[in-house]
Amino acid sequence: MGADPDEELVRRIGAGDPAAVQAMVARKLPRVLSLATRMLGDAAEAEDVAQETFVRIWRHASSWRRGHARFDTWIHRVALNLCYDRLRRRRERTTDELPEMADEAPLPDALPGDEGRRVQQALQCIAPRQREAIVLVYYQEMSNIEAAAAMQVSVDALESLLARGRRALQALLVGDDGDD
Amino acid sequence: MAEARKTADGRMDASRFAALADAYGSALHRWPQAEQAAATRFAESEEGRAILRRAGRLDTILDRHRVEAPSHALHGAIVAKAATEVRQGRHRRFWWLGFGLAGVGLAGAVAGLALVTVVAPDTPSDHYVMDANATSFGDAGPDADTEDL
Repeated sequence: MGADPDEELVRRIGAGDPAAVQAMVARKLPRVLSLATRMLGDAAEAEDVAQETFVRIWRHASSWRRGHARFDTWIHRVALNLCYDRLRRRRERTTDELPEMADEAPLPDALPGDEGRRVQQALQCIAPRQREAIVLVYYQEMSNIEAAAAMQVSVDALESLLARGRRALQALLVGDDGDD
Repeated sequence: MAEARKTADGRMDASRFAALADAYGSALHRWPQAEQAAATRFAESEEGRAILRRAGRLDTILDRHRVEAPSHALHGAIVAKAATEVRQGRHRRFWWLGFGLAGVGLAGAVAGLALVTVVAPDTPSDHYVMDANATSFGDAGPDADTEDL
């Protein structure tokens, strides 16, 4: 594992450097917000998760030490845990189980310019762990090793989640399972 | 960790290529680094192109989902909390360090007490002094009595 590109910035934040704080927010906020938006499908909740993630960053900056994971992986794990807290609360509110299997009925065709919302709906229809894998690898552009570390699974398990998630999305968005 | 699965001559077979496309999509830069070179070679084949074309259809749709850039208000709110939270984080660390040092001190005191207990000679207990068999010369117990007989 190479040098952690965020390590120096975290050290400066821990030392109370305001410029480092600005740089960290500029560097990581778009990533954290994208992750939370795609995991939760709700912009307001995603903003709350982003704020809570940064509070944890600020609190741990002075004591953060690189262990097995890079700082970016740690941030993703923190944000994902916060997302899962909210998904659990939603489940408790609705008393419905989170879907383990996707409802594979294709979603209605999108109106022009509305395709993004249709993808967001499809992401919310698939199992959360499959969604997490796709968000980390596809949208967050994490390597398979980093994503597996953030999800605390093996690379083989990650690949299985990715493949099942993509098949479910294919069925929802294209109307077939991709085996043509 | 998943090993790079290639044939004996270092080439990738179609089933592995298809499995990777199923998982990672059509963009080879997302594929496992250890398998990218072999995958790139296979991607030039007719079969490879067909597999990537199929995976690319879903990718094109997924790419339509965009997340808006963070607002200035969100950026500002996060930055505004930083100074207080970093300071509190340092204070918490300081207090934990204090508790840690106090703990080490306490452990040292306990260890010192235990050492004194082990090394220091036993003082005769009140029970021994009050024993009915004891004399001013020591214990004149049953053995002493037996020798005299």
